[in-house]
Amino acid sequence: MQEELFISGRDIPNIDPNLQIWHWPISVYLFVGGLAAGLLFFAAMVTIMGKADVYKAAVKNAVIIAPIALSLGLMALLYDLTHKIYFWKLYTTIRIESPMSWGAWVLMAITPLSFLWVFSYYSDMFSKFEGKFKLLEKFNFLATFENFLIKNRMNMAYALIPLSVVLGIYTGILLSAFNARPLWNNAILGPLFLTSGLSTAAAAIVIFAKTKKEKHFFSKIDIALIIIELGLITHMIMGYYAGTQVQLEAVQLLVGGDFTLMFFGFVVILGLIIPLLLEISEIIGYKIPTLIPALLVIMGGLVFRFVMVEAGQLTRYLY
Amino acid sequence: MVIDTLKCVGCSDCVVACQTENDVPIGYCRDWIVESVNGSYPHVELELKSERCNHCDTAPCVRCCPTGASHIVDGGIVLVTGNDCIGCGACIESCPYDARYQHPDGYVDKCTFCHHRLKDGQLPACVSVCPTKCMYFGDLDNPNSEVSQLLKNRKHKTLAPEAGTNPHVFYLI
Repeated sequence: MQEELFISGRDIPNIDPNLQIWHWPISVYLFVGGLAAGLLFFAAMVTIMGKADVYKAAVKNAVIIAPIALSLGLMALLYDLTHKIYFWKLYTTIRIESPMSWGAWVLMAITPLSFLWVFSYYSDMFSKFEGKFKLLEKFNFLATFENFLIKNRMNMAYALIPLSVVLGIYTGILLSAFNARPLWNNAILGPLFLTSGLSTAAAAIVIFAKTKKEKHFFSKIDIALIIIELGLITHMIMGYYAGTQVQLEAVQLLVGGDFTLMFFGFVVILGLIIPLLLEISEIIGYKIPTLIPALLVIMGGLVFRFVMVEAGQLTRYLY
Repeated sequence: MVIDTLKCVGCSDCVVACQTENDVPIGYCRDWIVESVNGSYPHVELELKSERCNHCDTAPCVRCCPTGASHIVDGGIVLVTGNDCIGCGACIESCPYDARYQHPDGYVDKCTFCHHRLKDGQLPACVSVCPTKCMYFGDLDNPNSEVSQLLKNRKHKTLAPEAGTNPHVFYLI
């Protein structure tokens, strides 16, 4: 048994109390990255299945969020770097063993693609704006470019499927690759973050959808994803309990520790179980505004990222 | 590097020597002293030791670095190239020894085993000032070196070996 531990020399203001070097922008990025990955995945999937006319919000209206979310995410990432002017060094090398490196490259590919995807629906979605400013008429090359994108929509969809899945998984793998943080260091975090990202995207599409058919279709997808997510969270918790001493200590933060209310209260109950019940009831026929479960799912996804980033950084091997 | 916990008195000379030699900004440190008391009274045991970057063989900081700023040089020393570092903090999150910190100038900094002194044939600053001579530095690949002999003849441990990092700082116990 350890009676006392005293660390001198490290007991200084700039290191030990502040070892948490990842702050809120990282949690925000992990959330918007997952959301954008999900939206682009659904847009590509619906297009490939040839249902773009049926599920319009999934391919058009909701996808507007994706480029905005990715841009915000990139800004958040840049904001949290401490040696900002050297950020371009990321793109001077490809390091396969560093998840952050291939994450940076995937972002480099998917962000412009998300802008192009939205632009391919420009005349369709922004007809009022176009009627006023007549951009396509004034700049002929824009119209040619839009036509080119419309023709290549299917190709973009095929590229987006693997890219969005990698982006979604990457938000989790980024954390799980750090073996020094026992709460993060488990293989299930990748699939869990992907599922959570897809689920928040399905919820966002439900908000944007105008027809009952589309709302119900994506509600059903969300129900399936929430059930999978609950299963993955159960596996994650079981994994900690079957783990080593450091993982047993780490899981205490989530179960019976400082993050219990946030994790079980806001993520599991308010963010997953309640919206699951509401979505099922709505489909059965009870009158429930679809906005409520959708917003709860999105809130749960955001809080989940904050809990994992904040709690993970408190867990460690020594002392 | 080999550190004799039975000879260390926890004076922090190594900490001050490092801060002076390497111009470590005020409020930061590259090495530090850990004092731990183990056991229950009356069977208690005090252990004193100086800790720093373990210059691991399978360094997670080097694996996670997205730009290659963290790298291993000949001889197994882990270094950071300040102008390749973007300050993302991936290495700090991946170090089980919490040996790295963000320098006020933005890049990530840590113990270099005084690489600049080694090149001139000198010992790291911490080793050279230790008043009880509890620290030893040398080539682990050479079986006749002082450090290899100490590890051959004395009981020793490394920190958090379960993290799978193959650390290169050994503690004699």
